[in-house]
Amino acid sequence: MNSKTWISTIIMLSVVWVSSMSAVQAASDESVTVYSSRKEHLIKPLFQAFTQDTGVKVKYLTGKGGALIERLKLEGVNTPADMFMTVDAGNLWYAGSQDLFQSVKTDTIKNNIPAHLRDPQGLWTGLSVRARTIVYSTDRVKPSELSTYADLALPKWKNRLCLRTSKKIYTKSLTASVIYNQGKDKAGDIISGWVNNLAATPNAKDSHVMNAILAGQCDVGLVNTYYYGRLIEKNPDLALKLFWANQKTTGVHVNISGAGVTKHASNVAGATRLLEWLSSDKAQTIYGSLNKEYPANQNVAADKVVSAWGVFKQDKMNLSQAGILQADAVKLMQIKGYR
Amino acid sequence: MLAVKDLSVTYQNNKVLNGFNLNLKQGEIFALLGDSGSGKSSALRFIAGLDSTESGSIQLDGQQLSNHGKHQVSPEARGIGMVFQDYALFPHMTVEKNIAFGISKQPRIKQKKRIKELLTLIGLEGIERKYPHQLSGGEQQRVALARALAPSPKLLLLDEPFSSLDKNHRVQLVSQVRDILKQTNTTSILVTHNISEANTLADKVGKILKKRMTIK
Amino acid sequence: MMGLLALVVAMPIIVVMLSWLLPEHELWTHFSENLLSSLISSTGILLLGVGVGVTLLGTVLAYLVVMVEFPGRKWLEWALFLPFAIPAYVLAFVYLGVFDYSGYAQVWMREVLGLPGFDIRAGSWAIILTFLLVFYPYVYMMTRASFKRQKINMIEAGKLLGAGPFKVFFKISLPLARPAAAAGLLVTLMETLADFGVVSLFNYDTFTTAIYSAWGDFRSIEVAAQLASLLVLVAFFLIYFEKKARGQAKYYSANVSTIRPYHPKGSVAWLITLFVFGVFMLSFAMPMLQLVIWAWGAFADEWSANYIDLLISTSSLTIIAAMITVIIATMLALPGRCKRGSIWLKGMVRLATLGYALPGSVMAVGLLYGINQISVINIYFGGESINHIIYGSILLLLFAYVSRFMAIAYSSIDASAQQIKPVFTQTARLLGASRMRLIWQVYLPMMMPGILAGGLLVAVDVMKELPATYLLRPFGWDTLAIQTFELSAEGLFERAAVPALMMVAFGALIMMVFRYLDKKSSKAS
Repeated sequence: MNSKTWISTIIMLSVVWVSSMSAVQAASDESVTVYSSRKEHLIKPLFQAFTQDTGVKVKYLTGKGGALIERLKLEGVNTPADMFMTVDAGNLWYAGSQDLFQSVKTDTIKNNIPAHLRDPQGLWTGLSVRARTIVYSTDRVKPSELSTYADLALPKWKNRLCLRTSKKIYTKSLTASVIYNQGKDKAGDIISGWVNNLAATPNAKDSHVMNAILAGQCDVGLVNTYYYGRLIEKNPDLALKLFWANQKTTGVHVNISGAGVTKHASNVAGATRLLEWLSSDKAQTIYGSLNKEYPANQNVAADKVVSAWGVFKQDKMNLSQAGILQADAVKLMQIKGYR
Repeated sequence: MLAVKDLSVTYQNNKVLNGFNLNLKQGEIFALLGDSGSGKSSALRFIAGLDSTESGSIQLDGQQLSNHGKHQVSPEARGIGMVFQDYALFPHMTVEKNIAFGISKQPRIKQKKRIKELLTLIGLEGIERKYPHQLSGGEQQRVALARALAPSPKLLLLDEPFSSLDKNHRVQLVSQVRDILKQTNTTSILVTHNISEANTLADKVGKILKKRMTIK
Repeated sequence: MMGLLALVVAMPIIVVMLSWLLPEHELWTHFSENLLSSLISSTGILLLGVGVGVTLLGTVLAYLVVMVEFPGRKWLEWALFLPFAIPAYVLAFVYLGVFDYSGYAQVWMREVLGLPGFDIRAGSWAIILTFLLVFYPYVYMMTRASFKRQKINMIEAGKLLGAGPFKVFFKISLPLARPAAAAGLLVTLMETLADFGVVSLFNYDTFTTAIYSAWGDFRSIEVAAQLASLLVLVAFFLIYFEKKARGQAKYYSANVSTIRPYHPKGSVAWLITLFVFGVFMLSFAMPMLQLVIWAWGAFADEWSANYIDLLISTSSLTIIAAMITVIIATMLALPGRCKRGSIWLKGMVRLATLGYALPGSVMAVGLLYGINQISVINIYFGGESINHIIYGSILLLLFAYVSRFMAIAYSSIDASAQQIKPVFTQTARLLGASRMRLIWQVYLPMMMPGILAGGLLVAVDVMKELPATYLLRPFGWDTLAIQTFELSAEGLFERAAVPALMMVAFGALIMMVFRYLDKKSSKAS
């Protein structure tokens, strides 16, 4: 074969290939389509269980929260998505503010999920709770030395603190809660204090923060509880413990993962059914244990590893504040040099 | 056979060659001598139809190819062959494929026969399957000549074809090329700056001096 | 026609440039007061360090494998290409795992050697070294090819004049290889500008950081696009300087020499082996070993039939996108296109090759907005929206790949087209060849090495691409890169090593195919 016939054969084949691939995507009308920024391995078991219980199939597409919101906006009425699922209250609030959700208020959801974890207008529903609190080295820190987030800004923690990067949404929401509770000026001082106390460039991941404490680079840090849960489940004897911050004041900063039915959903009934099912006892048990989070449904007991950390006082800040104050939080961190 | 009338060449807004006229008979070999920048190569390229100029008419075998500086027949259709200074053999083709390039429309068997004939003519039998980079400079030169001769062009143009060869090779090759051109009775124009080369190869020698060409 | 094609490819870039029509003062004030100056200097330091580093490392390695005989040279010559197969973010991840304060290397250093620990992510040197080890193959690949084409007698002449290997390198080889080195450097710098994965792992702030901040934190797609357009501007200047460096390119001899002029003795030869092998160890063997260790324990947990789908979609996207990109780049690079209007064509081609400096997700959003605008215009003229046809279809993703990776395909193919001297065209025309025959039988075969190299680079890049794929892929088109990212983002590094290793294996396979074709085509020319 000479190069000419070679190349034209290849072109022909690829055209056939592309067109056959595109044909596959015609959706069956009975299924529910979900856009999720929760990672695949955390949602797949849930959706499989849902299909087993109800016979309704779930199609999903994972992606980064902000990017999926952009995609939903641009797809508009033509979006294939019936449900949008994401982590962090700030993201949920923003999706709601961009008119991407429709209101769903069913008794099942009202009974399963407490009001402070839901949007007042029923646009989105929290499905799991995670706390962001202090983690410390049991070798070098006594729990009595610890108290609040603001305390970590004091000079006694100079070169002893590890933090996650300010670019991560969980850091932004925590900072938003500090601004909400203490005001902008005080919050700015706290952030400056943190930055001065850093023992290392802020880490990309919570797990890196914990590794750094274990290796002796720093003594205290701030992490989401489930990262600690995953680590401690594998190595129960680590010299690392959680401390519930702000117990005498505003309480531990909590955040949620959650979902809502999209404004232009083509299968509203299916999506609502999925949302109700996700709030049920069965789903909440799976949801919590998959990722060492606290169930949003108060009737469901947390995973064994999680409940061993004891009960704590939660920050009662309305979670939509995390979204409203997010831009301020980022600006403040950028001004104070928190990278 | 070939008639060039009133050809002029302008180079960077400077007229370097003016009123060039040339008549050649069938099988006649003409050499054009001149320093670099004298417009001799440009004149050749105009005859081939590759470059244009503001004046000049060309008639070949009774057919008007160019008139007043405008080409009426494209290079592909002129039936003119050309050998360049650096041979320009296609590096990805064997000798055989290189020679066959200009006669690809002929039937295979005829092509084979013609290639064999030409390789015998240039004295390089048995190198059909070699690639250009496996040949010496003189061999590449002769293959380029064979390629240009393959379609039996009405006119062959040679643009400084010997300049990148060493001296000993050159003397030998120049007379060999003359023999080949005479055997095939090919009307040819050679462009060079080497007087002995011109005298050995050509029947008629023209020289460009002060923008004018005079035939000795 | 070609100009229009280039215009289509350039669409996302044009959309990004048009963002200046929607100014937003408040955010710009905040950025310019608090971020920009430090971002510009940190980006500048990064580009400078990486640029100088890859040029030195890449050329020296290429010179050694082409001109010098040393033990193990034959397989090291190919082994040095292998880091291409590892995505930059995976490599960065492994390096941090090994060399950060809590990594084995530093633990060993503190506990066995008693040295103090240090924060590897402070300053710029560690991230520069990382980029160096990821991107040196670009310069290595291009200069290696150029050294191979250098006339051996030029080197011989240098030797006869009494110049040692160093003098020959600096006085003869390096100046001749400059255009090739510049082309490799250009690709490297554009990749560095567009990178988001490595810089976020190191928490090193570059211009890209500000782009993501504008978009992610302040929800201003306009300011993100405006910042991105500055990257396009930088890329434009980089290309300009590369063209200048290439303008003095000499024609190479077509002869590829296999003779190695230098045969150092015993210990010197082994020192060279040690150096080249050391680079290979650091940039490929060591990270691979770490990945294998991680994947070993997690394989049983992570492996599922799902991986067959991941492999199919990854390879389909890779092959189709590489082919389309290469075909378009070849059409744009063909010599002797139209004579008039070539300024417009040149401009369009220039524009179409700027996308490489844009972060993948900015490119993707530019594309989404561009198509949305076409729909808006279409509706205005009484037509229908095309969004639902295009969004979520594989065409959109392929479009993004083509726009983003046009630069690498084009620069490689154009370089090979530049070497087709006009005399070949003239010869073929005088022998009666039609334009079609000229293209198929003369241009394409002579451009083949460049086409293959361009195809290889695009294929490997598409395979590793994350942000645009993540945003634009249709249902069921998850790739190995996405799987790697999703697992590692959740801290499941052991499991993430499984798809990462598969990616490396797939990349190595692409490289083997390339090596085979490259040998075949270099035999013929």
